[in-house]
Amino acid sequence: MWSFRFLLTPQAIRMGSRKEVTLADIVIPPLGEVEEVRVVRWLHEVGDEVQAGEAVAEVESQKATFVIEAPVAGRLFAILVPEGKAAAPGEVIGKIAEREGER
Amino acid sequence: MREVRWIPLGRVRFREALELQRRLHSLRRRGELPDLVLSLEHEPVITLGRSADPRHILGDPVALQASGVEVAEAERGGDVTYHGPGQLVLYPILDLRGFERSIKWYVWALEEVMLRVAADYGIRAGRLPGRPGIWVGNGKLGAVGVYVRGWVTMHGLALNVAPNLDHFRLIVPCGIHGAEATSIAALLGREVPLEEVDERARDAFARVFGARVAPADVEVVTG
Repeated sequence: MWSFRFLLTPQAIRMGSRKEVTLADIVIPPLGEVEEVRVVRWLHEVGDEVQAGEAVAEVESQKATFVIEAPVAGRLFAILVPEGKAAAPGEVIGKIAEREGER
Repeated sequence: MREVRWIPLGRVRFREALELQRRLHSLRRRGELPDLVLSLEHEPVITLGRSADPRHILGDPVALQASGVEVAEAERGGDVTYHGPGQLVLYPILDLRGFERSIKWYVWALEEVMLRVAADYGIRAGRLPGRPGIWVGNGKLGAVGVYVRGWVTMHGLALNVAPNLDHFRLIVPCGIHGAEATSIAALLGREVPLEEVDERARDAFARVFGARVAPADVEVVTG
């Protein structure tokens, strides 16, 4: 988890301010001997509010759909692995800009 | 020892079973239910998994609906599948943290249950790499499609006991051209009652999952 200062970047404007934003990783957890999954569905668009524990994406491997939940409350800030693309357990597939005071 | 409730539901429409599964899944996730397995058969239905290609439905959806075959979307993994009477469907709602925290193991275990039931009938079925389910030659005897959230499962497996195999021609099974459906009844050349297969599946499930399996009523479980 890291911190960035965005100065009037498009992202910062979308975030509604130029204050410090903490980004939390959306990570594919270890799924048990699974080397690769496919991101089949993002359930939110960049900019959407999400609650901690809310389903944000679905990945699939060998006829199993696995739901990825938001690690923190905030706004979906970036989708790093789009629908249809492969990813590995441990990989960061997206970022959430944390809502202030909810750490 | 782990305990799993086995809940026979008889013949249920897909959408109804889906509603029930979603309810039980969220209760299980909150720890308000024990591990359980719904055992049932469906009215004829074609379901689309998360990776479904609609072109794998070969009939016209309107004509299908008119002939009594429902078309429904499901959140399980996989492509297009047919379910209907004569197929044993198991929907385990399990917290995998009490078993193995592994998707691969879980899919393997569901296949293993079906393989053991088939073996009970003297049928030598097997796995095909990259093609989940169980197969006898080029014939698909059983299918797997699961959904896992917070390590709690829903959807599950479908074993062809004695379904109308013509209905499978409405789809490209699992998106695999050249694959055909087969059944225990077709392979044995005799009738096989679903209740008998359900019992054998219960025993196989208990062994594979290392659990005591006790029959229960859905009302008893949900209160």
